Amino acid sequence: MEGSKKMIKVKVNGKLYELLIKPKITLLQLLRNELGLTGTKQACMDNSCGACTVIVDKMAIKSCSVLAMQVNGKEVTSVEGLASEDGKLTPLQEAFLEFSAFQCGFCTPGKLMSSTAMLEEMPDPTEEDVRRDMEGNLCRCTGYKQYLAAIMHVVQKRKEGSK
Amino acid sequence: MNERSVVGKPLPRVDGKSKLTGQAKFTTDVVLPGMLHGKLLRSPLPHAKILSIDTSKAEKLPGVAAVITGKDTWGIRYGFVDTPNYPAEERPIAEDKVRFIGETVAAVVAVDPDIAEDALDLIEVDYDPLPAVFDPEEAMKDGAPQIHGEITRTTSCAWEDWGVARKSHSYTPVNNIAAKVVVSYGDVEKGFAEADYVREDRSRSPGTSHMAMEPHTIVASWDPFHQKLDVWMNHMAFELKRYWLHKTLDIPITKIRIHKTYIGGAFGGKAPCFDYEVIAGFLSRKLCKPVKIELTREEVFSSCRNSHRFDINVKTGVKKDGTIVAQHVKIIVDAGAYKCSAPVAMFLSHAMCDPCLDRKNVRHEGVAVYTNKNFNFARRGHGAPQMRLAADSQYDQICEDLGLDPVEFLLKNLRKKGDVIPNGDRLDSYGLPEAIKKSAEAIGWKEKRGKQRDKNRGVGIGINGMFSGSGYWPFACAAIVRLNHDGTITLIEGDCEFGQGADTAYSQIAAEAVGLPLDDVTLISSDSELCPMNYSNFLSGGLFVGGGAVYNAAMDLREKILKVASEAMKAKPEEIELKNRAAFLKSNPKRSYSFTDLMRFHIQKHLGDPLIGYGYKKAVPEIEFYPSLSKGTGRFTDAYGFTASTAEVEVDRETGRIKVLKIVVADDCGYEINPAAIKGQMVSQAVQGMGDALYEEIMDDEGRVLNPNLVDYEIPRAFDIPEIEVIDCSDYEPKGPFGGKEAGECARAAVISAITNAIYDAVGVRMMRVPVTPERLFNALKAKGK
Repeated sequence: MEGSKKMIKVKVNGKLYELLIKPKITLLQLLRNELGLTGTKQACMDNSCGACTVIVDKMAIKSCSVLAMQVNGKEVTSVEGLASEDGKLTPLQEAFLEFSAFQCGFCTPGKLMSSTAMLEEMPDPTEEDVRRDMEGNLCRCTGYKQYLAAIMHVVQKRKEGSK
Repeated sequence: MNERSVVGKPLPRVDGKSKLTGQAKFTTDVVLPGMLHGKLLRSPLPHAKILSIDTSKAEKLPGVAAVITGKDTWGIRYGFVDTPNYPAEERPIAEDKVRFIGETVAAVVAVDPDIAEDALDLIEVDYDPLPAVFDPEEAMKDGAPQIHGEITRTTSCAWEDWGVARKSHSYTPVNNIAAKVVVSYGDVEKGFAEADYVREDRSRSPGTSHMAMEPHTIVASWDPFHQKLDVWMNHMAFELKRYWLHKTLDIPITKIRIHKTYIGGAFGGKAPCFDYEVIAGFLSRKLCKPVKIELTREEVFSSCRNSHRFDINVKTGVKKDGTIVAQHVKIIVDAGAYKCSAPVAMFLSHAMCDPCLDRKNVRHEGVAVYTNKNFNFARRGHGAPQMRLAADSQYDQICEDLGLDPVEFLLKNLRKKGDVIPNGDRLDSYGLPEAIKKSAEAIGWKEKRGKQRDKNRGVGIGINGMFSGSGYWPFACAAIVRLNHDGTITLIEGDCEFGQGADTAYSQIAAEAVGLPLDDVTLISSDSELCPMNYSNFLSGGLFVGGGAVYNAAMDLREKILKVASEAMKAKPEEIELKNRAAFLKSNPKRSYSFTDLMRFHIQKHLGDPLIGYGYKKAVPEIEFYPSLSKGTGRFTDAYGFTASTAEVEVDRETGRIKVLKIVVADDCGYEINPAAIKGQMVSQAVQGMGDALYEEIMDDEGRVLNPNLVDYEIPRAFDIPEIEVIDCSDYEPKGPFGGKEAGECARAAVISAITNAIYDAVGVRMMRVPVTPERLFNALKAKGK
């Protein structure tokens, strides 16, 4: 069994790892089971809910549907990599807190990663853009309103800041 | 007490930073050294005798630690309803026969989940298929396949353990009838005779999924040295889960510890006892190793509880002016293979109606029927959404028939604040009238109702009432508030956090009572070993009962602090105020003592008492045990929450597609402890209600679930969300903590009927079966030639 393992090099939340892994494991399994980064959640395992979303080289992807081997040589950010090590939250995390944009919190890491990547990519999204972009992130608790408001709040703040 | 500074504020949630940084521990995240993984073999047949099971090949697979079947767990029984009349009939693993596709027939535990999965394929089961029945009405007919033989009690039930004298007995269901309910008051025949107009209609609400984001998961870890089981699990009340593990595994109740984890959504769907929970505990004890069982999404859809399908026949008699004079309701509940909460659901569908409108003469009959399908449980409203669809749609149609306005109709039939309803419950708070008026106003009722059909647009209204906890084991909640060295407090209470905001709301209640900011509360919650008795976080009793116990405990500490302050300051307690970890004289705020000093003073002067507050609350003080489910007599709850909802929709006649333009939720949840959390609950229910009205249905073909995933079972997505307006119609509830009561369940039902009634207003076609999919509406329009 050991013989079939493969070596990958991957940067996760700024830290470089060299890991011997079974080639069949997903990126989600790599994060949760090999690296103990359980902030990324498993909820459907068929690419349909978005709870496992992480950022790979600036792109938001669903980690349940990507093999760990596919991120060899790449840079992965999970929810644990958002806040600074001394506990400073990102503006999006702050806004989620302020707007009560989460309830049970199980899909929240995925939502944070999707919206973080979206805000990196889109300088000035409209609410329509945000709703479209967040369509892949299912949520059963919030009804989406408060977290859409939180994201738009960050967009607005950013606009004001850049003036 | 002074002006409120902590409750009534939309403060950030205390679990926020953990949940936003990936630090929050859910059951799925729990990993223990040496942990094994369990997988369940599930029946591919809806009804079959098990002739034999050969597990030998699976046992030989390297990495497999054990394989168990019904022979190992033979005789273990549990059930949500487990009373002398209705003994429990659920079992962790099928014994001599299977009753639905997805029922567990064997369990494998192995060093990793993949090996356990592989081993399932090596188990050989020899089935002898039996005729199966899937429709409750078919199942009730003479000659239909009988799903259960004699149901025999194997252990005592909670009633007996509590000391209720009645002895339980075995029974054999006849015609697959799992339970019956008849609630009756007034004289229905006389009522109908007095009516000017009588209508009879039939509605159907399908089974739906709670679809909590975290799949059902447990980790159980047996400690052979202390003969103790440590458990991390998805639940909604540790007391109940612990009680069931205690009964099914025969482990002393205090030798089971349910640890706190955050729970990734529940909506009712995680409260009952599940097969995989008993199996995990059983296997952990057998192997003396931690065992984790994490269900797949497909298993959650097809083998965990969904909501009940209700077919409702409702006959209502009214006077010309719309005054209701009689109502006769006949309900058929599709229980599925085991009865679980079906008897409760039938009763609640009546009980939630009664505080809303005065129907004068009522007969409410329900029958729950076994079928060869996965079985069901409460989902956010437990029986009320199904009943409201039937009643509110019919009221809307009666108004159409008689030329009345539905809003005026509802206002005419309201109960009154202070009314005692037929079972004895008193409506001390009753915000429904205001909610109806305000929700109508916010949607533009007068300008729009009946006036937009040329644009295929319409508006509709729905209402609902919901209890704030009821009589259910163990009937009481307690809480402890410790004063700490630095003048902060530690709150210890048992309710769990599954998203509803209990941790935050209870911390706010405790902080407010003692005059501290929210940050000064350390919370210990949801741990069966650290927390005092806890009632539950379902039955919508969380804030009212659990939060009430917290309020009483914090007020107890407040009084103790005031007493010692009055001793130290030589002033009367009423002359003293508490704020910022200190007691001060209202007349001279400079005269103050810190809580730290007061605690030291009290320890020195009063034999070492460091000041601890203790409080408790009983769900319904006036009833001794349970209300009668089968007769509906006796007090039921101490406070009801209310909602009125309106909606505006636009219909595309070419495709049958419905676009919801706006939903208004006007809710009376008593005093809003945390308005941001309350808004979250209302928006959540608006969106879930929209899903129920338009998208959601568990579909099956001869007992096989056809849509057990999130692609085929559609729930609302970010892009579908209409404008949602939430209106606070709170009526102060004198028995609730700071005046608060139920908030989390009521609105969903009102939203469903608001949307279906709006569809009627838009196109003139009455849809009494949800979800109103484009196909259903298109066909209905075609049939009506509209």
